[in-house]
Order: sequence, then structure tokens, then C-alpha cells
Amino acid sequence: MDYDLIIIGAGPAGYVAAIRAGQAGLKTAIIEKKNVGGMCLNWGCIPSKAMLESAKYFSRLSMASDFGVEGLDPKKLSFSWEKGVKRSERIVRRLTKGVEFLLKKNNVEIIAGTASLEGEGTVVVDNRNLSAKNIIIATGSYPRPLPFKVHEKKILNLENLFSMKEIPQKLLVVGEGPVAAEVSQLLALIGRDVTLVKTADKVFPALDDYLNTYITRRFETMKIKVIEGSQGFDSVNVGDYEGIVNCMLRKGIRPTGSLKPDTDDSFYVTDEHFMTSVKGVYAVGDVNGRSIYAHAASAQALAAVNHILGITETMETERVPLTIYTDPEIAQIGRTEQQLTADGVEYKVNEFPLSANGKALTEGNPEGILRIISEPKYGEVLGVQIISHNATDMISEAAAYMAVESTVFDVARTMHAHPTISEVFLEAGSDAVGTPVHK
Amino acid sequence: MRYIFKFPDIGEGLTEGIVIEWYVDKGTAVKVGQPLVKMETDKVVTDIPSPREGVIAARYGKVGETVHVGETLVEIEIAGEAGAEAKAPETEMVEETGAGVVGTIEVASNNAYLPASDEGREVKPAAEKGSARKVLATPVARAMARDMNIDINLVKGTGPAGRVMKSDIQSFHATAASAKDSPALSVTAQAAGELVEIKPMSQMRKSIAKNMLRSKQSTAHMTLFEEPEVSALIAARAKYREEYKKEDINLTYLPFVIKAVAAALKRHRDLNAEMDFEKGNIIYKNYYNIGIAVSTPDGLVVPVIRNADQLSIRELSRAVAEIAVKARDRKLTLDDMKDGTFTITNYGALGGWYGVPVINYPQAGIIGIGRISQKPVVVNGEIKVGNVMPLSLSVDHRLIDGAEATEFLLDVAAGIADPLSLIMR
Repeated sequence: MDYDLIIIGAGPAGYVAAIRAGQAGLKTAIIEKKNVGGMCLNWGCIPSKAMLESAKYFSRLSMASDFGVEGLDPKKLSFSWEKGVKRSERIVRRLTKGVEFLLKKNNVEIIAGTASLEGEGTVVVDNRNLSAKNIIIATGSYPRPLPFKVHEKKILNLENLFSMKEIPQKLLVVGEGPVAAEVSQLLALIGRDVTLVKTADKVFPALDDYLNTYITRRFETMKIKVIEGSQGFDSVNVGDYEGIVNCMLRKGIRPTGSLKPDTDDSFYVTDEHFMTSVKGVYAVGDVNGRSIYAHAASAQALAAVNHILGITETMETERVPLTIYTDPEIAQIGRTEQQLTADGVEYKVNEFPLSANGKALTEGNPEGILRIISEPKYGEVLGVQIISHNATDMISEAAAYMAVESTVFDVARTMHAHPTISEVFLEAGSDAVGTPVHK
Repeated sequence: MRYIFKFPDIGEGLTEGIVIEWYVDKGTAVKVGQPLVKMETDKVVTDIPSPREGVIAARYGKVGETVHVGETLVEIEIAGEAGAEAKAPETEMVEETGAGVVGTIEVASNNAYLPASDEGREVKPAAEKGSARKVLATPVARAMARDMNIDINLVKGTGPAGRVMKSDIQSFHATAASAKDSPALSVTAQAAGELVEIKPMSQMRKSIAKNMLRSKQSTAHMTLFEEPEVSALIAARAKYREEYKKEDINLTYLPFVIKAVAAALKRHRDLNAEMDFEKGNIIYKNYYNIGIAVSTPDGLVVPVIRNADQLSIRELSRAVAEIAVKARDRKLTLDDMKDGTFTITNYGALGGWYGVPVINYPQAGIIGIGRISQKPVVVNGEIKVGNVMPLSLSVDHRLIDGAEATEFLLDVAAGIADPLSLIMR
């Protein structure tokens, strides 16, 4: 055997698995055909968040004089996509270097090339036969083709959106989920004319109805036109748009080769330890179709490596935070009102708006709300939903509460610094136990 | 390096445990604190945590087998530590010191026998701390355990670092519930009819069971018998019965026995004492509180007649009657039952003859009274019809020697045989 472990794909699933395996003393190789960091670092999470930040910055400048900043003529402000991209690329380079450093530091061999999967623990990379006791497939995903015919040049994928120099004015975003919502808003924030055509009824089916309704209303105020999926793509006149952004649901990218573990649709079928139908061959991240989130991919990767190391603890899958980097951001963890109702679980909801929070007002970000869903008998926190410009950071507090099965009593007892936006937890928690102060 | 982990002393007086469930197999990687095995001891069911991080190389004891303190439970292969450089297994050292010097680990908790080095001292408490420490549990699990009346320390935690999670309480509750609902019988046996009925023990039965077992396990029982001729007692009772009746007192033989016992205790103070083995003391009591074993529908209780030595037959009669009423009406309080120094059990009242009573620990003795019956007795070389009362005295032989016990029993018997002596001596 050449290696204890070969990992195919160096995205947030693959590289995390590799580092952990290296730390644990496994002889590990990671194979990547494009860039270390995968989609997340190179054309997903990081570049999109960098561009969103640019767009939010741009949009916020319209309030500059209200904050006391003078000398800016809003009419003269314009947005350079190219410069935004340059900044984004610097960030990506820095993070990619960091990952490469960590891989090397933990004695992981990085092999450039395209892998194919053969039997008996063999991986072939450009005619090189490599063998390993265990294999982790972390090859990620790509968007499904658009449901209508359109000229290739008009199509924008995440893979090329963040390396373009110019963005056309009139755009159609096709798809659903957090990516479609983020991209639509990003483009609207920099003054583009955006239409979103959804493939499902809800913008993001996994979110609570409350949040879905909020997103829809926010789209309206931002003048993003929404075409319901139920109306079908026939109602869309593709010719009206200068660019079509493909945010369709994604498909698994599977390595070629004679070894073919079982699949469902394009995704590998995996057990609770993320092992495929072939013993010793694991699939983590987008390619197993369980989640589209990088943080879920990383967690799965750790679980798979743990299993290889003989630690059979299964991964917690109910408490994955869902985050959308819209403006304001949206985050959710735990179960939704609809899931609880469907399961017949009694619950109560306690809310506190950001408009009554001192820090939110001073920052000029008063839009948002915190909702804590709890079980009435013991007060266990069952779910948390946040709308706030920093919701994706705030959700971690909720994740910690839920990781240790906290009750609303614990939330109400936890001292929060003042003034902070996180005080809304204290307020909603106190409300839940019947001792609200500022309500 | 291979680390040999022996079954540690996890609680006072524990010498062995039964393997209930293994959580690890040969080859399992374990972390410090990760539960290795669930053991049942005479006090608790508890998880034994791994003392080291490594891979299980060997495992001893099958499910259901008994493992003694100091016997090897698992061998853990520890990476990165070469055999020669590895420190001697510390836990093992302490365990062997305890076992080697005094025979049982119980005494190893006595500081005098602990090794002088700090190293050993640190390791041993660590093993004990595992069970004594407040169990890790989530807030919801605690709230749920409180609500369901579950002792959270008995629940095996499956969360990080063995934390007790909500689901652990739920499954513990479910297991307990199903154990109550469905007796461990085969389907055919159930179908054949209700051959058995399984009922959870009442708290009282549990406490009786615990006390009886503790008495038998903590003392050295010895029992003596005597059969005084009690015609004089019968005559005395007959003589005063009507008079007592006017005061609504039912005069029985018991007050005479109490009086005789209290008087004898004063002359034989060892029988009114208890032994503090841990501290090496004998505690003599200068008060004479006589417990009377009383049967109730719920089970056995032992209310106490305080300062029995100072009470007259009339007062003792009233006290006995009062106890009986309280017991019948379930009105006895803890105060009624504490601080006894010696106990009388009167199975004769139910028609019983001889018995071997179990000491009401930590008291030193108990006397049992059987029914009075007519028997041939020899008086001055002639056989006559006599009335005898069987007496059984159980004593804690650790504290009471045979001679002392015999003298005491004969003293009691003489008092019962000659009621007049109870006021004359």
C-alpha cells in the first residue's frame, strides 16, 4: 500500500479530511485537478462573500451623509466589478496558501491531476497507479444544466462570475436556495436589473416559512422581480436578458473509473459514517448530496476520518446552521415551526426585534429579528432564527446552546455584554421564561 | 508501550463487579475518560472510564463475569511511548500496594497504607473521582431526570466526554418502563397464564432489603436460645389484667419482657453498645431505647420506646399500645423509629415459636420471643406441666463474646421467669 488514505478533491471537505488524517499520523495524499480550496475558496463561499461585502459597502455609502460623512456625491459613485474581483482574488490567494501550508505541515502529499477510481483501493492519477487502505471522495458538485436553451456566452456560473471584468445590466438568476438569493441580492445591490426565476415554491425550502416570507418581501423592496417556479420557464423570455446566472440545484461530480459505488441520482449513497457501498471508500461533501454547505462538508470529512481511525461516534446532523449572506443576513439552526407542527411537537416562539436594540440602531442596521423556538415543558431550545446584518456570526451562539441542549433558562441566565446585538438573545430568552426586561 | 489497566476501587468497600456491557473491542481507539465497560457493583451500576488514550490491545472478562478489584480489565496500547522509557503504570502500582499489604482494597483508603509518594496518591483518587464527581449532563437532561425522578448518576452518557444527553434520559426511562411493563418471560410462559406478577419494589421494601443485607454483611451474627419457665409471669399478668382493663390497657407479656431486657442491658452494657469499626471505637450508650419490631401491611417497622428502663409496666403497656395504633394508622414518623439501642421482635404474638432474628444494625443485639406453650418440665426430680417461653438472642459476635451473650440471655430469662425480680433487683 502506498498510502493509508487517498483523498480525491481538495475543497473544504477534502482538505479538512487530509489535515486531520495527517495529524493522526496516517500516510495521506490529496489529489486535486484545479485549485486547492475547491469551490468554497476559489469560486464559492469566499469570493462571493468578498463581492457581497463590496456590494454592501457600495450600497451603504448612500447613507454616508446621514452618518456625518460629507463630500460624497451619490450620483458620482459607481461600482467596478473588476476591482472588487481583484480584492477577492487577493483574499483567495491568501487563504489558499494557508491551506497548502497546513497540508504540507501535516505531511499530506498534494498530487495535481485528475483521479479515476479503480477496484481494490487503487486510484489512478494520470497513468500513475496509487494504492490506499482507505479512499475519501470529496469531489464536490456542479450546477445542473439550465432548463432552456440559451447561448453559451450568456451563461454565468459561479465558476466564472467571480472572475469577470464586467457584469451585464439585465440579468436572470435561475434556481433557488441560498446561492440564488445571495447572487440576486448582490447584483441588485450594485444596481443591476435582476429577475429571479425559482424552481421551487419557496426561495429556500429548508428555511422556516417566516424567513422565506421575509426574503420574498425583502426582494420586493429591493426591486428584484421573482417569477414563481409554478409558472414554469415558458413564461420567461430568455432573449430579454443579457446574462443568465445558473444557480440550479447541483449534481455530484463523480470520479471516472471501473469502481462505481452505489449512487442515487448523481450522488453517492453513504451510511452514517459516510462510507459508500464499497468498504473503505467514503464520500463527503456535496458529492453525497446531503448538504450544500461547506461547514457540513468539513464536519462530514472529520467524521469519515474518525471512522477510519476507529472512532465510531456519528456526526450530529440536526444542528447544522443554515446561513444566507443576504442583506441583512439570515441564519437558522434547529427545527422550523413547520417541522415541529408536522411532528406534533408542542413549541413556543419568543421574538425580539433589532429595532429595539441599542447597538443595531447605532450601527444603522435596525432591520432584523431574533426568534427562539423552545419546548414548553423543559424549555429546551429547539430552533433559532435570526435576521440581522451579522446573523451568520450570531447563529453560533445558538449552535452552542443547542450543542449542549440548553434551555431558555440558560439563555436568560447568560450575561451578554452591552451594547451588543447579541443582547437580543438575553431579551428573547428572558421573554421565554416570563421575565422580559425591555419588552 | 502497553498499559495494563486494572479494575480500580471505585467506591467504599467494593471488592468486585460484574461486567454488564463492553463499550470497546480489541482494536478500538480510546480517549482519556471514554467509558470502557459498564460494571455492576453491590452499590451502583457504573461506567469505568479509560485512564489513558490509546488502542485496546486486550480485554478481560465476558459479559456476566465477575471481575475483582485489582484484576486486569483491559490492556491499552499507547502510541509514541517506548517500553523502556514508559513510566511504570501508576494505577497498577497503587492497586498492588493496597492488595499486597492489607488483602483488600477497602483498607487502602486508609492513609496509613497509601504509598508515601505523591505520584501514587494522585492516581488513586483519580479513579475514585470518576464516580464521585458530578456527572456531566446537559441542562435539558437534568431537567428531564428531575422530572422523571431518575438518578442521573445511573445514566450512561453518550454525548461528548460521556455527557448525559436528553436521549440518554429518554432511553433510560424507556428501559426502566419496559422492564416494569414486560417481565423477562418467554412468550409461551406468558401465554400459559399469569404465572408471575412483577411489581416494582416499594421504597420501604428496598430499605428493608438494604438494611437486612447490610446487617448480615457487616456483622458476625451469633444466636443463643433459652426457654424460661414462665408460670409466675402468667400468674402476674392474670392477676393484674382486670385492673389494667379498667384503665383501658390490655396487659400483655411484652411489657414484662421489655422491662427484663432494659434491666439486663443496664447490667451488660456491651449489649447496649455499637461498634465503629472504621474508627476503631466502641460506643456505649447510657440510654435504653428499646425498638419493637412491628409488622404492617407495608412491611416491617421498628418504632422505639425511649428510656424504657425508667418506665413502669403500666407505662410500657401504654407505650406499646400507642406504637401499635400508630403503626396500624401509618402514622409513625422517622422520629418514632430512630435512636434505638436494642430491639425486641415478638413473633410469639403471631403464634411463632423459635426464630433466628437479624440484628437491627448497628445495634449489638436483638431478642426474639416465641409463643408460650405448655411443656413437661422437671421440678425437684418430678415431671410437671410447665409453661415455657422460647427466647432467641442474636448478637454481633464481633463485639459480644459468647460468655457475655449467655449471661445476658440468662439475665433476661430470669427476669421474665420471676416478674417480681424486675422491681426487686
